[in-house]
Amino acid sequence: MSPRLGICRDCLRKIRSPSSSTKRYLAAAAAATATTPAAPPSFEAQPPPIARFPRTQPPSHKPPEFRKSQLHRQYTSLLRSTPLLLLFQHSNLKSQEWVSIRRELSIALSKVDETYPQTPPLADSTKLQIIQAGIFESALRIAEYYKPPPPPSPGDSLATPSSSPESTNATPDPSNPIFTHALSRHAHDAVYKFKNAHPLTPLLSGPLAVLTFPTVSPPHLKAALSILAPDKQAGFPAPTRRASPGYYDGAVQAGVAKMMLLGARVEGRVLDQGGVQWVGGLEGMEGLRAQLVALLGAAGANLVGILEGAGRSVWLTMEGRRGLLEEEEKKE
Amino acid sequence: MITKHLSEVTTKFNPFSKQAKTCRIFLATLPANARQTMKINSKVLPRDTDAKSELKIKFKDGREMQFDPDKHSIKDVAEEVDRHSRVLNRQAELAGS
Repeated sequence: MSPRLGICRDCLRKIRSPSSSTKRYLAAAAAATATTPAAPPSFEAQPPPIARFPRTQPPSHKPPEFRKSQLHRQYTSLLRSTPLLLLFQHSNLKSQEWVSIRRELSIALSKVDETYPQTPPLADSTKLQIIQAGIFESALRIAEYYKPPPPPSPGDSLATPSSSPESTNATPDPSNPIFTHALSRHAHDAVYKFKNAHPLTPLLSGPLAVLTFPTVSPPHLKAALSILAPDKQAGFPAPTRRASPGYYDGAVQAGVAKMMLLGARVEGRVLDQGGVQWVGGLEGMEGLRAQLVALLGAAGANLVGILEGAGRSVWLTMEGRRGLLEEEEKKE
Repeated sequence: MITKHLSEVTTKFNPFSKQAKTCRIFLATLPANARQTMKINSKVLPRDTDAKSELKIKFKDGREMQFDPDKHSIKDVAEEVDRHSRVLNRQAELAGS
């Protein structure tokens, strides 16, 4: 740097290291300020606290303008909001294959939406997206293990004005929500010890894609499984050629062959392939209702049968007795 | 990794074990049109299984390789596959010229 500025090395050294006279002067000045009594506050108004960062941009552990910070935020929000998440490995799918698979998936899900008009439609809000495994692992830790401290009540914040975010960021106060968001250093430190603790962690390597549903709906899950991971023996057959001819396009078939279902996270619990198929095989609310009606109907029919039974047997006995008596009368 | 001499890949792994990484990354390194040029059988084992994961590779010249994913990392597998593939490359070059 020095040759470019045109300063000789000696001068630069002098500039960088204060000379002995300068040092002496500084020490004397410091002693003077230490000994002089503080000026009364009435003479000099206190300077307003310097804002270290804007209110709309709270401090974060990683610079917020990085793509990975924003992905981390997005994954944390996704993990906090979705109750049903399927993890797939995708091995070198082409973009055309992704497009075709997503098309078939949305067609299948909208068909399920039409069959169950009572349930809220999920076809538009179900999403198949590629994730970055490392960032997702960190976001999973935040979503699972990090509970931000409750925000202080208004009375508390008035009592401790020193914790206002404008005045300092050197001593983050954990009770202030501006320091405890998912990207904050506080959150990072809180979940650092849970590294590799979550049971889903071994799955998070290699090329990954997640399928996320806004609610746990077994019929929709079943439709999605029969598209993405068809398994005839487990009860998830691929749609027939007549029902959806688009599924038998070359691109869809090639893409589905390269997708591999690894596991799932269903309402916080980690399931493997068999567990996912079990959830997909559940009847759902509609099926349960039908089962309940059938059960109640059968019980009612039984009850009626039992109650009728006594009367009927009495009637049968009486009829039999009458027949006998009539025969005896005829003989006489 | 040179994959053009492979004819068949058979894998079996439990994704919830750490050793599955070798199999999974091997599958991910195969090219996009791999299923047209070779046969790929991959099986995902259940989570609480005792079965061992395996990775078997067959070459077009009939050579078979079997790897133990517990011991071999993807680096070792790629090294071994490349070693034989380079031999096949050289043979093909000599035969062609």
